[in-house]
Amino acid sequence: MSMDIDLAAFAGTDPIYVITEEVFTAMIDGEEGYLRHWDGPDPVFVDPMHAWVDVNGTTSGRVLLTTERGTADKLARALLQMTPDEPVSPEDFVDALGEVANVVGGNVKSLVPEPGVLTLPQVTQDRPPTLPDALIYELALDWRGSALVISLWKLP
Amino acid sequence: MRVLVADDSRVMRQIVIRTLRQAGYDWWEISEVADGAAALEHVKTEQPDFVLSDWNMPEMTGIDMLRRMRAEGIETPLGFVTSEGSTEMREQADAAGALFLIAKPFTAEIFRDTIDPFLA
Repeated sequence: MSMDIDLAAFAGTDPIYVITEEVFTAMIDGEEGYLRHWDGPDPVFVDPMHAWVDVNGTTSGRVLLTTERGTADKLARALLQMTPDEPVSPEDFVDALGEVANVVGGNVKSLVPEPGVLTLPQVTQDRPPTLPDALIYELALDWRGSALVISLWKLP
Repeated sequence: MRVLVADDSRVMRQIVIRTLRQAGYDWWEISEVADGAAALEHVKTEQPDFVLSDWNMPEMTGIDMLRRMRAEGIETPLGFVTSEGSTEMREQADAAGALFLIAKPFTAEIFRDTIDPFLA
């Protein structure tokens, strides 16, 4: 796919932010107001988790969600409507974080011309490899006081 | 009414079923499967009244499953609930005989507005 997104078509709004806010409002929080732009220095993750989907086509790209493990755990609980101290199984943890990346990635794919095929989501502790100059876009967000970063990458 | 929900994500199946309940379809008897091949098998053996399917699944995608159903003469109504809602996918879904395509993220209101007309 071409990862060129025509930002002018969104009348000054950030389409990636709009997509992510819609996903969090509908699937995670049930109401608006819990996701906003990160205010402050770039977030640094001590125990990060990464979830991503790739779009394979004539040019390929990756939509990557990075957050602290503890935040990922809270996301999984919120998706599954679990209580704060209810344990999340490793399968549900991976499934939940992958689905957030999958839905954000699927909607990002809809923005680009000539989209390719969306892969199934992957979730890992290790950051998936990307070339340093392949970063297209990065957005740091604050969800209920915790940081998460959505980034778009060109793939070789 | 017996309904099959097909999605490789257990979390997403749970969210779909929860949203169906919120939309007022709490009288539906819902079964779940995790891929298109299992959905095709379920449709043949259990003959549900309606299928709600993800698109991108291992083993067999939702669109391939729908094409197989129609090729084998199975006319069970099917709607997609998927993370992508591009024009191209909507056209493919239409051409294969899907009733609708709901793009994730969805709300109970979107479910009601989309599904209700087909229940009349």
